[in-house]
Amino acid sequence: MKFKNLIGAGLICAIILIVPQFLHGYPMTVVNVALLFAITSYGISVMLGMGGQLSFAAVTFMGLGAYFVANTTTGRLGITIPTMLALVLTPIVFAGVAFLVGLVLLKLKGTYFTFATIALVQVAFTFFNNYSPLFGGPDGISGIPTLTFFDHSFRSSGSSNEWFYFISISVVLVAIVVERIRRSQLGRALASIRDNETAALTFGINTYLTKVIAFSIAGAFASFSGALWVMHGRFVGADMFNFLNAAQFIIMAMLGGVNSTVGIVIGALLVTGLPELFRAFQGYMQLFWGVAIIALMVFMPTGLAGIKDMIVEKIRKYKVCASRREGDADATDS
Amino acid sequence: MSFTLFGTLFINGLSMGVIYAMMAMGLILLIRAVGILNFAQGELFMFGAYISAALVLDFHLPLPIMIPAAMVCFAVVGLVFMFTIYWPLRKASYAATTIIATMGAAIVLRELAVLIWGPLPRSMPPLVVDEGRPAILHLGDVPLQWQNVLIIVIGVLLMYLIYLLFEKLYVGKMMQAACQNSYAANLLGVPTILTIAATYVIVSILVSVGGYLVAPIFMVRNTLGVLQLRAFAGVVIGGFGNIKGAIIGSLIVGLIEVFSTLHFSAYRDVTVFLTLILFLLLRPQGLFGEKIKDKA
Amino acid sequence: MQPILRLEGICKQFGGVTAAKDITFSMTPGQVHGLIGPNGAGKSTLMNIISGIYEPDWGSIYLNEQEITKIPAYTRARMGIGRTFQTPRFLQRSNIRDNLLIGTDLADQTGFLKGFFGKKGRPFDDELAELMEVAKFTFDWNDNVNSLPFGKRKLLEIVRSMLGHPKVMLVDEPAAGLNNKEIEHAMDLLNLAAQKRGIGVLLIEHSMDMIMDICSDIVVINFGQVIGMGGPKEISQNKAVIDAYLGGDDLA
Repeated sequence: MKFKNLIGAGLICAIILIVPQFLHGYPMTVVNVALLFAITSYGISVMLGMGGQLSFAAVTFMGLGAYFVANTTTGRLGITIPTMLALVLTPIVFAGVAFLVGLVLLKLKGTYFTFATIALVQVAFTFFNNYSPLFGGPDGISGIPTLTFFDHSFRSSGSSNEWFYFISISVVLVAIVVERIRRSQLGRALASIRDNETAALTFGINTYLTKVIAFSIAGAFASFSGALWVMHGRFVGADMFNFLNAAQFIIMAMLGGVNSTVGIVIGALLVTGLPELFRAFQGYMQLFWGVAIIALMVFMPTGLAGIKDMIVEKIRKYKVCASRREGDADATDS
Repeated sequence: MSFTLFGTLFINGLSMGVIYAMMAMGLILLIRAVGILNFAQGELFMFGAYISAALVLDFHLPLPIMIPAAMVCFAVVGLVFMFTIYWPLRKASYAATTIIATMGAAIVLRELAVLIWGPLPRSMPPLVVDEGRPAILHLGDVPLQWQNVLIIVIGVLLMYLIYLLFEKLYVGKMMQAACQNSYAANLLGVPTILTIAATYVIVSILVSVGGYLVAPIFMVRNTLGVLQLRAFAGVVIGGFGNIKGAIIGSLIVGLIEVFSTLHFSAYRDVTVFLTLILFLLLRPQGLFGEKIKDKA
Repeated sequence: MQPILRLEGICKQFGGVTAAKDITFSMTPGQVHGLIGPNGAGKSTLMNIISGIYEPDWGSIYLNEQEITKIPAYTRARMGIGRTFQTPRFLQRSNIRDNLLIGTDLADQTGFLKGFFGKKGRPFDDELAELMEVAKFTFDWNDNVNSLPFGKRKLLEIVRSMLGHPKVMLVDEPAAGLNNKEIEHAMDLLNLAAQKRGIGVLLIEHSMDMIMDICSDIVVINFGQVIGMGGPKEISQNKAVIDAYLGGDDLA
């Protein structure tokens, strides 16, 4: 087990070191964006994958994080704080905000809760798109400073290697947190809510509070990812945070496997990367995309990670059969 | 507010409400039949608008031929939708898979519309034209767009017929029963696949006719599907799972939307969806729903 | 001895149907109490009322003489009301380790972050070994819980419930779907719970053999009402009980 972890860690380090040798310019920017989207996607993994709660609110918290950074680092509201501080503050502030919002919305269950998050997305989008004093209105907010990491200012081009290192390390840290949540009491509590909420109560699980905490974690991830996104792209506009993109993020999480830590990153890379890769066929790309999603749900409802599980299961069954056969052979020998 | 303005806005709001109600009724019929929340409802609606635009603008069909032709097309769309998005997934263990599949279908329909009919919005002539411009009906002092009045008349008639079919006629009750309990239905000799297919066809026709009716008011474009969110709001306000409630809820949404444009047109979504959130929190069972009970 | 659980005048109606009417009885720690009655008599409803899933229309529930009628289900579970279900309820997509940890989480409420830091421990090894000794089967930690056959899953559910260190255990039809060997192991587990751990066990069961064998006290209900109470001997001679069973279409 220890050995496996070491290999995994080595592999991740190697990937992080090797990728910048081959990717430059625009493709690098796309990879960076995909990776920071993965952080939002991890929040969906906690809510939907672990807890079975379908929430569209991820983009809204992404937006809140992005606008928070845009306002506090440009001095639009009269105060200017360092980018690094803004980046650290964002997930803390919006974990709190998400906790309060969750306290209200999670009074509702199942589909009602989902509807409420759709309503939240619509309301927030309307404000993002129209209320200029805070959100810049339809023009958005531009001229946001790039991240200054202690004394080092990141190059403002989003394709720079330092961005890649910073974002991928953030992704790894978030992934470790998610993996730890999965095996903590919180993870088990969420799993029992997903499988049967009433039974969960009899296991001594405060289902309401558990869901609120998961919502708050998802909000923290999403706002952090929004903050990174806005420093990386140096512009924020409302279109990013509409309902269609909210659906896109759900798809992203489901595609790789909503319960798979690696699958989330793969899903984010595919959803963000493929349309760029096949720009020549842009007209057909989205269509292919929709078809692929349907096909995936039909044939592999647990996402791409399901393929891995299926293979592992096959091997295991094969081994069991083989050992049985050996056992039979032993029996006949004696 | 003058009476004329009020009258015009009221009819506008009501006609938008009827459009949302058609989508909302379709949503409820599908939820009852197969238990799936269809996130491609708005796209079916949008596709209906495109198909009718094609029949009118490209094929220049006269109305008496165009209507049956459109119905056949709508029915085919409904069937294709069912056999790709619902049938292969009917035994999915994850509730989210079917919902995601309908989201995928939404993308497919949006992109197909652009691929077939091009990226430019198309404009449809209204049903009643007066010297090349939309005809106005004067009801006393109140000027009303004919198209809005027609939306209300046709929409209400269609919904009433479907309501009769499902709630009053034996066949409809049988269909609902078959969908809800396929085991019992098979014992009775009602093939589930037929009843579900019929439900999908009816829903597709209902929603697409909505698209056809609304096309002259908005342009026909592939973002029309966003209107489905208002239908969702109507469904919840009315009481989830309740046809009467969904229709009345949708009418309320239409009226709220139109009257709030009077004061803060940019924020009309805020009024609609804040109303929804308030309803969810204060009266989650909606106007007509029953209190939800947990089951052990 | 002070009763561990006491019901007083519990009433519950669903629509027009009376599921419980003035039910009063109490349970002693360290004993297995049987709860029997024909199908639809209101046995499972009563369990749901005790564990807090349904709220009674009238009446009070006391755990250790502390009233818990208004306390939410999850708090009751933490206070020591454990239960199992007719069809076992597990985390369908999780392995056996996580499913058993759900039980130990209940005994050890250190908070959500338990298990967040440190190793994937199995702090309950000894206790589990003792229980599995009685349940008489083994498993692989990392297998999905559904890879176990139905009977083993039902046994495992009793084990999980015991890992939560309950004071009262509500056990719903443990023998249904088990073979004779497994029924014996289930009875051993319940006896262990009652005699060694001093848990008050409330047992719903249709198998009269099992009831008569391990229950020291039996409550019979029909149409939501208590129609008989007493030791196995008295119950088997109680006229009302015999009528209810023979008169009903279901002979348990």
